[in-house]
Amino acid sequence: MKSLAPTLCKTALPLILVATLGGCASTGSPVVGGNVQYGDSKAVETVTNQFGSTDLQTIAESMTRSLLQSQAITRGNRPLITVADVKNKTSEYIDTRSVTDSIRAQLLKSGSVRFAIDADAMQSQTDELIRQNQTGLYKKNTTKKIGQMQGADYRLEGNITSIVKQSSSIKDVYYKFSLVLVGIESGVLEWADEKEIRKTSLR
Amino acid sequence: MTLRKHLAKLCAVACLMATPAVADSIASKIEAQGEMTYLRVTGLSQVARSGLLAIQAEVSNEKAGQQTLYYRFRWLDASGFSVWDDEAWKPLLFHGKGKQLIQVVAPTPQATDFRLVLQSPENTATPASTW
Repeated sequence: MKSLAPTLCKTALPLILVATLGGCASTGSPVVGGNVQYGDSKAVETVTNQFGSTDLQTIAESMTRSLLQSQAITRGNRPLITVADVKNKTSEYIDTRSVTDSIRAQLLKSGSVRFAIDADAMQSQTDELIRQNQTGLYKKNTTKKIGQMQGADYRLEGNITSIVKQSSSIKDVYYKFSLVLVGIESGVLEWADEKEIRKTSLR
Repeated sequence: MTLRKHLAKLCAVACLMATPAVADSIASKIEAQGEMTYLRVTGLSQVARSGLLAIQAEVSNEKAGQQTLYYRFRWLDASGFSVWDDEAWKPLLFHGKGKQLIQVVAPTPQATDFRLVLQSPENTATPASTW
């Protein structure tokens, strides 16, 4: 009778080897390249003392939470707000629109307010209304009527200023972001708040 | 022993009994990334204002030198689900032996519970177990 040992060696040994080696192999990550690393977008950024992501995020958060407690908003009935300019009075480039966009997004997400279209987006709004009403391309019962836009109850505006001091060894930057909520019909300032940030670095 | 001494003794016992309970309630709301060596959450209170949860946390620096704390809040609903995106980490500077109050308001009325996430650069790596 023929021995089973050589047959087993031929068939089982490669299988054992494959299983062992397969077990040792590392799992491939779904990554192309390897010179770039993704970081925490919410981390405290201290690369330089210029206006940075942490400043933008903390200002937006602080202003939103303060505004949510204002009487104009807690009175209920989800007031309609529009965003006006936040003037950059610092010596550096700051995209203040990005700050107000964050504030608007957080306020909208809270569900406590509504936003009317602002001056920057008005052109595309009127273009769309004119296209629907004057080109004759749309079914009449689906056309959105002209003259139905809602006027905002309040206007959000403000400014950001900075004071920069430097010596041979230290640079100190102080930012102050001020925001006000103005009643459009009355012209009354219904709410105002400030957020201060100090950043000091060694030169 | 006079009545006044009895009362003083009873009061002292009551205060001692209350302390671990307060510490437990604080601990249940804190997520410290490592055990904080010099900074301690010494007070934590919450109240609902205009439908929004308002939180005040008192943090004390037990060291004579300056300390930095990084913190953020996690907002949860009654079921423990997160109801808001991750907040940005915020830095807070403590002067020697100083106290700071952290006051925040929930971003949405849906937030009925919270966790205060803390990290101090001088933390030890072991998880915080006692507060």
